[in-house]
Amino acid sequence: MSMMTGREYRESLRRLKPEIYYMGEKIESVADHPAFMPHVNAAALTYEMALAPEFEELLSTTSHLTGEKINRYTHIHHSHDDLVKKVKMLRALGQQTGSCFQRCVGHDGLNSVYSITYEIDQKMGTDYHKRLVNLLKEVQSKDLMISGAMTDVKGDRRLSPSQQKDPDLYVHMVEKKKDGIVVSGAKAHITGAVNSHGHLVMPTAAMKAEDADYAVCFYVPVDAPGVIHIFGRQTNDARKCNCFLDQGNVDYGIVGGEALIVFDKVFVPWERVFMCGEYEFAYELVERFATAHRQNYGGCKTGLADTLIGATYALAQVQGTDRASHIRDKLVEMVHLTETLYCCSIACSCQGYALPAGSYMADPLLANVTKLNVTRHIYEIARLAQDIAGGILATAPSEMDWKDPRVGKYVDKYMKGVADIPAETRMRLIRLLEAMTCGTALVESMHGAGSPQAQRIMIERQANLERKKRLAEKLAKIGEQPLLVC
Amino acid sequence: MPKNSRKVKVALKYCGSCNPHVGLTRIARHLAKVAEERGDFQFVPLSEDGINVVVILCGCPRACGNKAEVRARANQSLLTAGESINGRHVPEAHLPSAVEQELSKILDS
Repeated sequence: MSMMTGREYRESLRRLKPEIYYMGEKIESVADHPAFMPHVNAAALTYEMALAPEFEELLSTTSHLTGEKINRYTHIHHSHDDLVKKVKMLRALGQQTGSCFQRCVGHDGLNSVYSITYEIDQKMGTDYHKRLVNLLKEVQSKDLMISGAMTDVKGDRRLSPSQQKDPDLYVHMVEKKKDGIVVSGAKAHITGAVNSHGHLVMPTAAMKAEDADYAVCFYVPVDAPGVIHIFGRQTNDARKCNCFLDQGNVDYGIVGGEALIVFDKVFVPWERVFMCGEYEFAYELVERFATAHRQNYGGCKTGLADTLIGATYALAQVQGTDRASHIRDKLVEMVHLTETLYCCSIACSCQGYALPAGSYMADPLLANVTKLNVTRHIYEIARLAQDIAGGILATAPSEMDWKDPRVGKYVDKYMKGVADIPAETRMRLIRLLEAMTCGTALVESMHGAGSPQAQRIMIERQANLERKKRLAEKLAKIGEQPLLVC
Repeated sequence: MPKNSRKVKVALKYCGSCNPHVGLTRIARHLAKVAEERGDFQFVPLSEDGINVVVILCGCPRACGNKAEVRARANQSLLTAGESINGRHVPEAHLPSAVEQELSKILDS
């Protein structure tokens, strides 16, 4: 078996026994708990769509290791076409879910670790790449969903990992054994963690020699002993358990479902260790992962924006404002911003390049520009959606009152817009817009794949300001300048 | 009605549907109905041998599904790309029936 169906994915989750806590409760089955089902559903669609004829061109491909047909989420990019198809796949999935489908983080992690292990081996004589390839074969043959666990909790941001008062504030090796290593620490904001089959853990920042124990990269199954998941709260998450219509996006939720993963003296066998002390490669791994992940955001977020624009347009029709020129203009602006983001992701994919391992990565400068634009444009798109929707977005009655025998008739009567469209249609659209623009979903666009300043730092590193200065000096006749600046 | 083995083999190839300008599954559903009514052709996977016609369904003019290796799977091919069939403009509403007509021309020739 190399590709699972959505049903098989859910069944595979039921066979696992991860340690998960949410709202003070130990969760027995993520596939069957209402708090997690929307996230499981979204991830399941990455399996379903890979088997659907309409989408298989994007969501499936051929393994370079085995020649078998595999889910693209388990693939290592080997061409510009692969990079572009990833972006298109994300847009297609975003359109279908209107939410985060989680699987890209582990995919980006696999691609980053694949290339970096090759380069570590070249320099250090290690055998990490072979181990990673073995893991990759397993991931591909079993169609596993893996999380990409990079962000440490970081403690005092002024201090490096080894300077922290509590050594566990960055994931690190606490013991080296004959058959493996023991690690402790925690990774924060990990998307899809609770409904993944395993975690690919990577260092979060550049490291120095004194941080060598923190330069660790490894894979553990989601239910490995000592791995504990504490699931995060989201805006209006109680609605998952006691509402239907008021959830807005009933099937797929509002974000990916993030968790704090605690590693409490977790044993990792050597065959699952891909970096252990090679601190000088930590930054490069972080940069490659960040580039791969930031490349995505003009794909998935444009898919979400497509649904958001659609909901906004539909609500304007329900409210009778859709022909007003300023509404049309705002809808056009939303489309313009959306397609600008898409341009960025396509561009950084087309400008990508081959690495020594033979795999491809997106252009880092353009990928960071993509994500930085997402931190602004998605907010502006959401602002315009809220502008068009009106204040009802924040004041609409609940579905319980709509169903109440005493006041339901008033909700029906006074929530109606255009006469021949039922109030229910308007309420459903309002709730979808609320879910997509009024809380956790927006924060994801700001900080997912790194906060804006992280993108600015990488943009500055690659800006080549000196060459730009030389170009200006040539035109301004400052000093002796060649005919052409190359 | 001819036996299954005698039926003309038609395969569908989708572009991938990242952001289609037109409804591709509507065309596919219409063709499935036509196949049932005519009874002289059947849909088979693109991986099957001996395909007679491949209908390439692309959501926009970029036509990502229109690749040499796809066309080479059959003797004849038919390309829809957004609001067009084999390069001729066709409004979205008319696409299913227009694809049917083009396919019928091939099948009846």
